[in-house]
Amino acid sequence: MEFNAKIPIYYQIEQYIIREVITGHFDAGAQLPSVRELAPQLAVNVNTVQRAVAELVTTGLIVPQRGKGNFVTTNMEVIVNLRARIVKEQVATLYERLNALKITPSEMEFYLHQYIQEQEATNND
Amino acid sequence: MTDLLAIRGLTYKRNFKVILRDINCHVESGQTIGLLGANGAGKTTLMRLIAGSAPHFLGSISVDGATQLVARKAAVSFSEQTNGLPLNLRVDRAVAAWAAWYPDFDREQFELVAQFMDIDHHARLGSLSKGNLKKVVIALSLARRAKLYLLDEPFDGIDSMTRKKIIAAIIQWKPFDATLLISDHHVGDIANILDRVMIIEGRELVANEEADDIRATGKSIEEYFEDVHAGRVQHD
Repeated sequence: MEFNAKIPIYYQIEQYIIREVITGHFDAGAQLPSVRELAPQLAVNVNTVQRAVAELVTTGLIVPQRGKGNFVTTNMEVIVNLRARIVKEQVATLYERLNALKITPSEMEFYLHQYIQEQEATNND
Repeated sequence: MTDLLAIRGLTYKRNFKVILRDINCHVESGQTIGLLGANGAGKTTLMRLIAGSAPHFLGSISVDGATQLVARKAAVSFSEQTNGLPLNLRVDRAVAAWAAWYPDFDREQFELVAQFMDIDHHARLGSLSKGNLKKVVIALSLARRAKLYLLDEPFDGIDSMTRKKIIAAIIQWKPFDATLLISDHHVGDIANILDRVMIIEGRELVANEEADDIRATGKSIEEYFEDVHAGRVQHD
């Protein structure tokens, strides 16, 4: 994994784990690799991974089990909410960019809709 | 967490010249710290003082509660200690010497690190390339069961493949509760493994910040270091 040098690394690891859960690479209830296993894989130190995991425990996405390790929550509400938050963030970024180009909301809707239809058409070929 | 290393009012002079002035810092156990500074800023001197290989200073240094020179020497694994090994020694003989000198030397640990870094046990120290010699030094240093590890410029003059290998070894084999101080005159590859950054400039410790706090301001560690060096960062 490549890190952006100007963003806190624990935050980037946090986002990476969230992505893995949302895209289904880590299922609900799945056990996470231990902090000591993750650190060499990500080429960062153990404390940094520990901090990322601690933040995710606070959000409820990760549930630590004493003596067993860390698990992805089985509470689907947490995952669904997180997914919605990520979508909103991405939409907000797109909206800001298009807005900066003076694209009107109805144009945005039109082009997004058109793009989705094009994508679906190519995927069905 | 407890302070593993505490330095108070440390001033060091040699030949009537001030080498380090009024250094104050506390380091928690388990942290990995980058000690940054230009060549000649005093990084190596600070490490020698911590490791107990330079006496006669003002102020106090305590490592895991020990302030006496001998006690500090025992608690610290310092890469420069390997300078005392004769260059005609073969690697396996150097390992044996190390095991005899340091009661906390863990041979099994050495073998693991050595295997990971492809160290040739039969080569003579003097015949090794710069990179391979550094690997031996790192392996010997990390194989001691110390509370504090001091690695002085482990990446100086090393190609990027070897650097990555050394970094991977450090991540994997630094004991979880041990503290590691790495000096470097450019940040580059080690930035990602640092909890904290200390910068020595003009004989003083001018910055002591958490690495992710620096990144949270939108600056890379490298940019921060350059800014401090150029006097663009205000500090107390």
